[in-house]
Amino acid sequence: MICATAVALELGALLLLLRNGLWRAYMFFLAYAIWLLIGNSAILVTFLYFPAVYPALYWHTDSIDVVLRFLVVWEVFHQTFPNGSGLNKSLSKGLGIIAFGLLVFACATFWGYQNYTSLRSIHLALDRSFGFVQAVMILGTLLMARYYGVSYGRNIRGIALAFGGWVSLSTANNAMADLTNSFLPYWYYLRPLSFVLMMAVWIWALWVYEPNPPIMESEAAELSQWTEEWNRTISTARTIIRP
Amino acid sequence: MINLTLFTILGLVLFGSFIFIALQGSPKSLPDTSAVRAVTQIINLEGSSFANARRLLDDTDYQSLCSNPDLRRLAERLRSERKQLALMWISLLQNDLITLWQFRRFLIQRGVPSSLKEELGTLKSLALSLVLLNFIKLSIRTVGPFALPRATRQAGQLVDSMSKGAAVVLGRIPAAGWAEIERSWANSAA
Repeated sequence: MICATAVALELGALLLLLRNGLWRAYMFFLAYAIWLLIGNSAILVTFLYFPAVYPALYWHTDSIDVVLRFLVVWEVFHQTFPNGSGLNKSLSKGLGIIAFGLLVFACATFWGYQNYTSLRSIHLALDRSFGFVQAVMILGTLLMARYYGVSYGRNIRGIALAFGGWVSLSTANNAMADLTNSFLPYWYYLRPLSFVLMMAVWIWALWVYEPNPPIMESEAAELSQWTEEWNRTISTARTIIRP
Repeated sequence: MINLTLFTILGLVLFGSFIFIALQGSPKSLPDTSAVRAVTQIINLEGSSFANARRLLDDTDYQSLCSNPDLRRLAERLRSERKQLALMWISLLQNDLITLWQFRRFLIQRGVPSSLKEELGTLKSLALSLVLLNFIKLSIRTVGPFALPRATRQAGQLVDSMSKGAAVVLGRIPAAGWAEIERSWANSAA
């Protein structure tokens, strides 16, 4: 039932992307939405008609999904700090180094997967390690945008917040499932339910085309006047402080 | 085991952060009020423009009044007034620092080149400066204005260093103007 609802919502999200040409603006997100529909449809079919194959397919699909989720992270970053914007030029190098560090961290935490014996735990460890990093990346992008007063449109705001909430909840959920078996019954429901909730928010976010407002940038004029005013002020302040 | 517990806690903290941001609503569209206020106030940094910090924190007058037993009460009054003035001055310096920081964010947002290292350095400098200024305020409140005169005088230099940081950023602008900023502000305020 939950899986069927998720597939229906994914189909809805895809149709919304195709309507009004939204997909042209959100290519990476479109790719992920297509993957979700294909992957979860396959899971639903195997669950109903080929139950023997279902567990293996579920976990392998989940592992591919972990990697493809970076498409959403990139879409959020790319839409918030578009190529060619001053903020992108200034911060992309430093943020790239941080992103690389986070990926190394994810790999390092996953490296300890030998501690887990069952097949399930390996996939949970993968999901947990990379899910955490993805949540941090999304949160970092949102905080950075807030710091510099960059506005969001409804589309990216909805996508980022729902995705971030889902991956962070999924991280905690996976860790708890591995921590104690008594949490497993909840894990089976909490994760798919939170996924369905994320899809519902995505549908809301994509209902109308509302991209991020463009970042206003200074025009190439009147540099000398501004710099002159600034230098005059600073030099006055210095003279007063250190006569 | 520790690893899993940590992931559980961090995951829940992250989830809470997303919920918090979602509830807070969208950030203000640019430029925000504080940034433009910074632009208009940048010419007049109130704390930095106070010229008599050295005199304010100098205890010579107080000591000479104290040396005469008949003028003790006057000396105490002088001390109390100096204390209020010093506290006010430190508060103005704090406002100046925050104003300069807001102005810098405003500049970077509008495309002035910078790097993450510089941004983190500025943030660190601001945090340290504010902590030091608060410490000085606390010391003035508890032991009076003449206890830490040197540290208090140096508080003014903190603002100076922040100003230099912003000046370095401004020096890199290919082109910009007051008119453009004012126009943006008028548009956003409308």
